[in-house]
Amino acid sequence: MSPSPPQPRGLFSGRDRSIKIFLAVTVVPLVLYMAFWTLFPLIWGFALAFFEYSPRRAGGPILGLGGANPYVGLAHFQAMLNFSSDAPKHVRQFHTALKVTIIFAMLVVPLNLSITLPLAVLIESIHQRLKPLFRTTFFLPVLAPAVGVAIMWGFIFHPQRGLLNAILGKLAGHLVAINWLGDPKLTVFGIPVALFAVIVAYIWQDMGYNLVIFIAALQSIPPNLKEAARIDGANAWQMFWKITIPLLMPTILLASVLTMISAFQVFDIIQVMTDGGPRGQTQVLLLHIYNYAFRYQKMGWAAAVALVFFVLVLVISIIQSRFLRTQWEY
Amino acid sequence: MKKLLVVITVLLLAVLALSACGGKATPTQAPAAEKPAAEQPKAEQPKAEQPKAEEPTAAPTQAPPAEKVTLRVWTHQNNAFNEGYQALADKYMADHPNVEITFETFDYDAYIQTLQTAMPAGTEADVLQMFGSWVCSYAEGGNLDVVPESVITLDDAQAKIMAAPIGGYICDDKLYGIPQEFNIEYGAVLVNTQLADEKGATGYKDGWADWDEFIQDAKKLVETQDGVMTRAGFNFTAADGIATMFHSLILQYGGQYLQDGQYKVTTPEGQKTLALMKRFIDEGLVDPVLFNDEENWVGDSYFEGTSAIGLVGPWVIPEYSGDYPDMVKVTQYVRLPSVGEEPLFAAASGWGLTVSANSKVKDVAWDFVKFVTLNADNATEWNLASGTLPALKDNVSGDNAKKLVEQFPYFEPFLDLLQYGRFEGHFPDRDFVWYEVTYPEVLNFLQGNATADETLKTIEDAVNGSF
Repeated sequence: MSPSPPQPRGLFSGRDRSIKIFLAVTVVPLVLYMAFWTLFPLIWGFALAFFEYSPRRAGGPILGLGGANPYVGLAHFQAMLNFSSDAPKHVRQFHTALKVTIIFAMLVVPLNLSITLPLAVLIESIHQRLKPLFRTTFFLPVLAPAVGVAIMWGFIFHPQRGLLNAILGKLAGHLVAINWLGDPKLTVFGIPVALFAVIVAYIWQDMGYNLVIFIAALQSIPPNLKEAARIDGANAWQMFWKITIPLLMPTILLASVLTMISAFQVFDIIQVMTDGGPRGQTQVLLLHIYNYAFRYQKMGWAAAVALVFFVLVLVISIIQSRFLRTQWEY
Repeated sequence: MKKLLVVITVLLLAVLALSACGGKATPTQAPAAEKPAAEQPKAEQPKAEQPKAEEPTAAPTQAPPAEKVTLRVWTHQNNAFNEGYQALADKYMADHPNVEITFETFDYDAYIQTLQTAMPAGTEADVLQMFGSWVCSYAEGGNLDVVPESVITLDDAQAKIMAAPIGGYICDDKLYGIPQEFNIEYGAVLVNTQLADEKGATGYKDGWADWDEFIQDAKKLVETQDGVMTRAGFNFTAADGIATMFHSLILQYGGQYLQDGQYKVTTPEGQKTLALMKRFIDEGLVDPVLFNDEENWVGDSYFEGTSAIGLVGPWVIPEYSGDYPDMVKVTQYVRLPSVGEEPLFAAASGWGLTVSANSKVKDVAWDFVKFVTLNADNATEWNLASGTLPALKDNVSGDNAKKLVEQFPYFEPFLDLLQYGRFEGHFPDRDFVWYEVTYPEVLNFLQGNATADETLKTIEDAVNGSF
């Protein structure tokens, strides 16, 4: 009996036909959706970085590239490396924005973690019934729209009508009108006070996320480890440093990476509170990208900065994850 | 499975290709338009060349097309402006039953972004509201239609329309739209007359003869507590105030900041301008750290009572009259002194209408634009509805001007001033020059962080670097 010749197999034939159909029906729309809304803009943004592109100019026949929107190769990236004092204004603004963004992220990450981690431990240590109340209270600002938060903090920092100056005035016994958000001469250790002010507003809104993450991680630490430590005579401080912190390292890594990425992406709070001022002291990279893409129509330059921004976040995330990698498992 | 992968890849490529071609959709196929492009008469399909004056198709008011035409109009969201447009559109549609005008409005920031993304894709409306200083950058990109001579010639437009507003719409000696308003930010100031009378600063009544008189009055209106300024005598330190004052004073001193395609302010006129502006600070009329564009912005500050005299255009009156009716009652616009023989000032053109180069109904579009902008009565109707100063010379004096002053008494000092307005000039990006260079650098100088020489050089280099 000779074996029957193999039948030609169609795309949706065979034993796993139903699986293939299911995959096609469920995956294809998602792939198309991703391609249209994610992949194409990414490719487009990448391509623009090599053109002097402005959407106001008609340009060449293919997507407006070429012609009045000429190909400039690596010119934008070369310009970014021009650190001389006579560099064009947009290049100098990019350098400022890069510096401000890095300072912002470097301040936000440790400040956020040093507030949220102890706070999470405190909340975990209180009575079971009160925990939801505190968790909700600290998470509420996360739900508030960033623009609303920015406006509220703008009022708090207002030089004449602000709550902060009113309190300081009461304490000092005379009128205080410090322009926290607008005086370029105000600095602490060389860092502008306006930047600290927006960091306060940013952390106030953002810390709820990390708090929830840390509370969940604390709850997952096996109680027998702490019990064993207690039997061995460890005090609360030692348990925190020797048990809680090491076991939380993966979570701390996750929280720090997420916080750093989120800090690098800060935009709305700064745009509303200071719009990058005073004198660019709070001008972060995303605001710089937004201004050059949509206010000044230099989309090629904005796309090049966005590409640098992407690489920067990627590199720092990799370094951070390597640095904080841990072998702890429980 | 490989075949499945191939199918997915092909679909992916097809989507990318389609998305790239998406821009070819005709404007009338956009969701907001109710009538498809197919309904347009063939005679009205776009032509590269402009219709000649004697061609009858160019005057649809006399011979309106018989077939149904949908005209899409894009404007930014400003209730007063858009009510004015709607009233004129209703009137136009009553005269032209075959034309249906649909408005699509956008928040100001979203409008700029929508224009930028829609134009390369060719999905913009037929008629586009534009601010004069934007026009040339879109026109040079080939996105706007040149005004047909049948609507108005360039010479006629310059004869009929005030120099500053029309200046923004002329690019390389071609006219790309028609302004409806004269945007003015310099020349006269808001004065709290009640406060001025109380403090004996009454120079405003006859007008200040010179800056010494002005400073004397403004000083009387300043209020401080514990060394902190709680009320500014003269708040001129917002972004528009600083940028327009800087350029206007250079003109008044006899200078020209645009010379042979270069921006030049490192001049004696530039020095004198900064010296005068610094004098306002040194005389204690305003604290530029507490009063600027970010804090105590002039409009808010004036109507809240923390500035006694404010440098800002008359558009703030309708904007604030709802919330501050009592303050509006005691407010008067008073002309500022001039340092030159004529009170010249730099002006940023004004809002007006243009027609997309992609429009398939250009004739109807231009006819509507002509109806709204060049008919003196219609133009006045829109100025009255929107609370804006007229761009048409005919409406700066005569009966229509009287109507405007009756409804907006604060326009009176401006109407005489308009003849001294000079278009601020074409910059590759005017907003960059105004808000990213001039304002922050001059404010920095006024705050005492830079010398006049440094400031002028920084501004000049930055602006020339943007050309």
